[in-house]
Amino acid sequence: MTGEELIAFVRKNLIAVTCAAVTLAIGFTIYYRSDALPDAEKVLADKTKEGELLAANIDDSSQLKEQHAAMVDANQVISDRMIQVGQLADNLQYFYRLESETGIKILDLRQNPWVPPGKGAPKTFFTPVGFQVSAEGDYPKLLDLLRRLETGEHYCRIVTCDLKPVDSATRGGQLTISLTLELLGTE
Amino acid sequence: MAAQTTKKSDAVVVVPAWHPNLRNVAELPDTKVVRTAFFVNGAAMLIAISIGLYFGYGELKLFEVDKQIATWQHDIDRDRRESEAAVALYGDFKVEESKVDEVTDFVASKPAISVIVLRLAAITTKRIAFDGLGIRDTGVTIRATVKGAPDRASGDVSAYERQLRTDKVLGPMFRTVTLLNPRRDAATNRLVIEILCEFKKPVKTS
Repeated sequence: MTGEELIAFVRKNLIAVTCAAVTLAIGFTIYYRSDALPDAEKVLADKTKEGELLAANIDDSSQLKEQHAAMVDANQVISDRMIQVGQLADNLQYFYRLESETGIKILDLRQNPWVPPGKGAPKTFFTPVGFQVSAEGDYPKLLDLLRRLETGEHYCRIVTCDLKPVDSATRGGQLTISLTLELLGTE
Repeated sequence: MAAQTTKKSDAVVVVPAWHPNLRNVAELPDTKVVRTAFFVNGAAMLIAISIGLYFGYGELKLFEVDKQIATWQHDIDRDRRESEAAVALYGDFKVEESKVDEVTDFVASKPAISVIVLRLAAITTKRIAFDGLGIRDTGVTIRATVKGAPDRASGDVSAYERQLRTDKVLGPMFRTVTLLNPRRDAATNRLVIEILCEFKKPVKTS
């Protein structure tokens, strides 16, 4: 087919040739842009997820400031109730103050040597400090001591407790108590 | 007048006259009622329009998706700073919370000794006199002397043991309540007992 024949063919079938050309052009464009929609949908999914996450963060944090402030205040109170590991005199003074408040008599009082946690130990904010306490007193006074220790100024847990009468022959008299306990403190 | 009869067999077969076909079909106009070009053009236009509509629909969807992306991006840009601040604050909150948790775990890791001592004093009859009370991670050891004749004292001990198991305060704490080596004290002729009350869960020492 010569050029003239081709031109004549086009002129004669102008509509069909134009439609074919348009179809080809659109088809090529569709093929060329076939990835655009899936890509855009993927981007949309990512943006939706991110946007929803951010919105959820904001929604969930509506009372966070107040809660955080309350928690900081609570920790301030907690911090005030901690003993200092190195403040040996202050720590022992706590027990002597209990002695004068409850009326018991402390027979022996020792703070256990503090050992820093090992390298593999989980990180903690506070550290338990061990004490050995032996005291003498009647039952109400010793019970008062236990209560003051458990609910007192410092956080305390009693590890072992031995309670026995001073003289097994005389009931209802003086008792001795031997305690191994831990107070929570900071380094 | 002679009758003219014609027989079928006598009919003359008419054959069109032969002549050369000199027509140039390609040059001749299409004389059909509906021209072929109409169908060809129609089909071509239909295909072009269909594919055009398909393309347009796709582009419209893409436009809508792009619009939604732009909306989300706007929201993300607007919320990002506030969200980051909230996440940072939450991180601080978690740190503060872990401090409180640590203290709570510390206090809750051991039973309240005063509660146990007070309750034991409350439920123990005057006929049973404590010789000693030992509280460890594993449980409570009660050493006591039982007043009265040994036969009655044995009954008191059994009742006391049962009471320790079923007590509303102490019962739930103990896994087992076991009477260990009851013996008679030769000097006083009284029954000396030791009862081991094991805690349900071994308490951690640290």
